[in-house]
Amino acid sequence: MVRFKNRYVLCEVVSEDPRCRQCIEERAVGLAVRDAIGRVHGDYGLACCSISFTVKYLNAYTGTVLLRCRKDSYRLLCSALPFVRQLESRAQRYPCFLNTLHIGGTIRTCQKFLIQYNRRQLLMLLQNCTNEEERQCIQKSLLSCSITEEQSHSGDEEDDDGTETD
Amino acid sequence: MARAEPPAATFERRVLRSAAEHHYLRVRLELPDGGARPSVAQFKQLVVSALRELHGEVGAALPVDVLIYEEKTLSAILRVISSGLVKLWSALTLLGFYQNRRCAFRVLQTSPFLLALSGNSRELVLD
Amino acid sequence: MSVPPLRRLRQVPRHLLVCEKGHARHARSRHAAHVQEHAYNCRVSFLIPECGILPEVLKNTIADVGEYYLVRNLSVHELVAHEFIDAFVKKGSCYALTYNTKIDQDNTAALLPNGKLILSVDKDTYEELGLQGRPSQYSGKKVMRYIITIDLTDSGFHPDSKKHNRVLWALKEKKPLEFDFLLAWYNTGAEGSTLMSYFSKNQIQALKPKITFNTLRDLQCPVLQSNELQGKPDESCSTEELFEWLGAVLNQVSLDNKSSSFLSTYCCPQPNTIVEKAFLCTITGFIIPEKIIQLLEQLCCYFGEPKLAYWLTLTVHGFADSPVSWRESEHGFHKGGENLYNFVIFRNLDYWLQMAVGTNDDCPP
Repeated sequence: MVRFKNRYVLCEVVSEDPRCRQCIEERAVGLAVRDAIGRVHGDYGLACCSISFTVKYLNAYTGTVLLRCRKDSYRLLCSALPFVRQLESRAQRYPCFLNTLHIGGTIRTCQKFLIQYNRRQLLMLLQNCTNEEERQCIQKSLLSCSITEEQSHSGDEEDDDGTETD
Repeated sequence: MARAEPPAATFERRVLRSAAEHHYLRVRLELPDGGARPSVAQFKQLVVSALRELHGEVGAALPVDVLIYEEKTLSAILRVISSGLVKLWSALTLLGFYQNRRCAFRVLQTSPFLLALSGNSRELVLD
Repeated sequence: MSVPPLRRLRQVPRHLLVCEKGHARHARSRHAAHVQEHAYNCRVSFLIPECGILPEVLKNTIADVGEYYLVRNLSVHELVAHEFIDAFVKKGSCYALTYNTKIDQDNTAALLPNGKLILSVDKDTYEELGLQGRPSQYSGKKVMRYIITIDLTDSGFHPDSKKHNRVLWALKEKKPLEFDFLLAWYNTGAEGSTLMSYFSKNQIQALKPKITFNTLRDLQCPVLQSNELQGKPDESCSTEELFEWLGAVLNQVSLDNKSSSFLSTYCCPQPNTIVEKAFLCTITGFIIPEKIIQLLEQLCCYFGEPKLAYWLTLTVHGFADSPVSWRESEHGFHKGGENLYNFVIFRNLDYWLQMAVGTNDDCPP
């Protein structure tokens, strides 16, 4: 048996307009990415990427998106992601861009990276916060996430096939 | 002769394996009879649009040169960077329309050497 | 392991360009041998810069390129017949090549001057013929093409031998093969019957090579230095640049494009000089190597008297559909079937030789 090897691309939606958040849904993101691939790599590139392409996970609250495609064509997908300029949903259109965070071979590695990444983000927020209330709030969430991290730490070193960071 | 000639060359041999920087294609555009024939600039535009359709903006950015174009026979010699040969060839093959009229590109000859296009033994016609 | 599709998109078919330099008068120079070993040539062209009118000697050489013959519907067994072998193959250099057959789809035959008859046939024909051969080098796992080599001058190939009878039977009765043949015969001295009279029963046609002259005005020529094969920046051009430039000249491509031009960015390699006029002569037909050697010699003699030109070139194109390129190395078509070579002869009789082959070809000698 041969496994179909996939690549998972973890990215976040960055937008200046807070209303953009309501646009972040699977269909809209998928269409926007497909449109960008079609523009940059043409029919051929779109067809290559379309094999097993899906939006695997999406968090509208944090703007995190996990995309899946075949290992052969992940370069086409990644090179097209910077060309996503807007999300469109329910006849509304908001400018935004996708920030690629991580490319992994499994969803698991992407999740691990995301936890680490968010922890680092929290630390940065902690340094930048201005008043005491904010500080306490962040400290609380920091503590909560370190506990989950401890739990998931058991048996961490194996698996992880073909992780590629950039 | 006043100028001193350089000494006779010693024997040297260099083998270049698949090192050609460019590939060359001799193509012919087929259009239905009647109607406007593209000028050389329109022809190049057509080639670029074929590339854009199949390979997107990345394909359209491939360096393609129209070395010769003959408006009467609609034949041309194209030069393309070696890594883009497959892209160009596939894009030309799949092009179907020119200004909303059916058209087709015929690739007559292709070679990594421009010199090879000047003597095609398959076109040798004896009376 | 299969190649990922995206990398395959950037790959090009294999090709080879061999560049040599040497001196034409050197005792061990093999340039003439290279010409001799390339048996089937369909076009010869030479370019002489700074030359308006061709010297008489060269004109005579061109006129003497000699005629060749086209025989329609000739059975291959006639080339194996003993009368033919005795009258032509053993008495000189006999060249034969099938005309209008495509090496990648049809059966093809060729007779080399050393008396070897080479049949390149597809699988079905091979099995019907029942002659010993070997699978084609370029056919991959599933063999669809076979090469049969018959040595006509072999001592074991006398009229009554079993081998001869078997070949004759196979080609006459088992699977009669008929082709249109291009024929040429070169012999020194001894007069004999001619191909024309020998094949008078068949449809035979004597053909003269087509010769065209062309004077190119204000041509940009690259500067070359005979002992710098790779060229030096700002001093001389490399062989690859020259090869491309020559292709541009022979295809009548305009050389003075700007780098910002929309249509074409090709321009003459640097450094270059503008030559007021250059003489271009093209001979098209079935040209035998002996005549090309004569022409090459005359071109070397061109520099016997002081001339303005620093170098001249002689380009020879092979047949894309011949079963051999150099010597007996197998030749296939793949995407272009190119096999050609080019001489650059310098004023001091140094030469550059560039030999180019496509995908289904061995490395030139």
